[in-house]
Amino acid sequence: MLSYIYKRTSNAVQVLLFVSIITFAVLQWIPGDAAQLILGSEATPENLARLRTALGLDRPWYIQYWHWLKGLVQFDLGRSYVFGQDVVTLIQQRLPVTISIAVFSMLIASTIAIVLGILAAIRKNTMVDYLATGIMQLGSAVPAFWLGMLMIVYFGLELKWFPVSGYVPPDRGLGGYLNSIAMPSIVLAIGEVGMLLRTVRTSMLEALGQDFMDMAKAKGLSSFTIYFKYALRSAMIAPINVMGLQFAKLVGGTVVVESVFGLPGVGRLILVAVEQRDVFLLQGLVMFVTALVILISLLVDIAVMFINPRIRIEMQGE
Amino acid sequence: MTAMVVGLFLLSFVYTPHDPNEMQLTMRFIGPGENPRYILGTDYFGRDILSRIIYGSRSIVLVSFVAVTLGSVVGSLLGAVAGMVKKGPLSAIIMRAIDGLMAFPGILLAMMMVAAIGKGQEGAIVAISVFMIPPFARLVYSLILDSETHLFIKAASSYNISRCRLLFKHYLPLLLPRLITLFTACIGTAIMIETSLSFLGLGVQPPHASWGLMLNEARQHFLQYPYLAMTPGIAIALSVLGFNLLGDGLNDALSKRRSR
Repeated sequence: MLSYIYKRTSNAVQVLLFVSIITFAVLQWIPGDAAQLILGSEATPENLARLRTALGLDRPWYIQYWHWLKGLVQFDLGRSYVFGQDVVTLIQQRLPVTISIAVFSMLIASTIAIVLGILAAIRKNTMVDYLATGIMQLGSAVPAFWLGMLMIVYFGLELKWFPVSGYVPPDRGLGGYLNSIAMPSIVLAIGEVGMLLRTVRTSMLEALGQDFMDMAKAKGLSSFTIYFKYALRSAMIAPINVMGLQFAKLVGGTVVVESVFGLPGVGRLILVAVEQRDVFLLQGLVMFVTALVILISLLVDIAVMFINPRIRIEMQGE
Repeated sequence: MTAMVVGLFLLSFVYTPHDPNEMQLTMRFIGPGENPRYILGTDYFGRDILSRIIYGSRSIVLVSFVAVTLGSVVGSLLGAVAGMVKKGPLSAIIMRAIDGLMAFPGILLAMMMVAAIGKGQEGAIVAISVFMIPPFARLVYSLILDSETHLFIKAASSYNISRCRLLFKHYLPLLLPRLITLFTACIGTAIMIETSLSFLGLGVQPPHASWGLMLNEARQHFLQYPYLAMTPGIAIALSVLGFNLLGDGLNDALSKRRSR
């Protein structure tokens, strides 16, 4: 079991290393170096040269990369020149917003997916099943930014249920906080739900067809016990895996959703970094977000190992 | 629905009711159906929405097809190389790099590429094609490893033919149907990323028409004129849905044939 965790962790570290190489390499392409971008086109060559030395840009790329990597390990992501602040500080300020909508949308999406997925599997080829399939297809085809705009018009403007944009931190009233992240979370959730729903339905169908289900029925157990205690447990493994993968998509989705709803989150920060070509900020953000995603998928894998008796037994057999 | 998108694309070369970039400032904010000359209405600048929708299909089709084609060729080649040399350091490096690429949240990778290359259509194409490399590389890699045990592949390799010939003559026919299915499924994703990028203002640049960009421009005024946001959104949703359904259909047809 420990050897499995060790293997997965070292694999994650390797992937992270490649991610850092790709990020660094891609951002080296940006025309004009950081010194030029900071000082603008009016800068004198002497000033440019001085800043380059100060930033270490005159050294060969592998030394620059090495310094950057060393900083990463110590959680030093460098300084943003657009904001004039440390990248870590900037992320810390904006992370609560992004985490809030990510977690809430995950909760909404998984609740809908599990309930509807199970129903669709139990009542295969009925209205419920068709409804679920419809939601799957629509959820993955409707762009989040458009859905967000429609919701702003309808729920924000017509019905006035939710504020149109902006973010209220939880320490300024829980009600306002929940209201301000409700619509963004729902929009993100609808984009996520399709894939999850599909997985829940398929694995539930698989579980229902297995021998131990006949056994449970033969014992005369109630259908509630059968479905929720037996089938669901074995059917939840694949969806949990997918949830881990979906988290990566979710983080990407926050960029768009935060932009539509005017939320001051990490996604907005990424957009600013791209627009202003703030290399250090973008490098730092990309590494941070990707590391977060890799960490989550690692944790999910380890969690699945504990839930799934089959993997556990294989481990003991090793 | 797919036919509709392709049809719109072809139509954009021969006919649009009005010049998509022509501004009629006296004709601003005409709602859909209010004026027979502008069936879907006009926008902030008095530009005809129908013409812009027709014209906007160009960037959708162009960007998504070119990007997925590029991505699938590069990805398949990488996967093929990794699959053919198998247990070498080269194969390990390629597949780790692919894992690394896959670890990026989709749009983040695309945005990073745009930052490096620059906003606009070229940026979007390169960004999306890089994003498309991993699924093709993985598919080809795993299929080659799987089909190694086939008798005819073994027979072919025993003739001592070159790896290149083995790949194109014997593996390719085996891989092609699966690649086409994946290609179709990826078009839907590509459209989604393209529209997201243009919505964020990183894709096609004004004054050109693109569905994502139209939604972005609608943001200023859609609180008073919600219809501005309707048509481009429906167009995007329908085209993504169309390609997704086509991909699913191909996949089903393929698995049926295989199981027979």
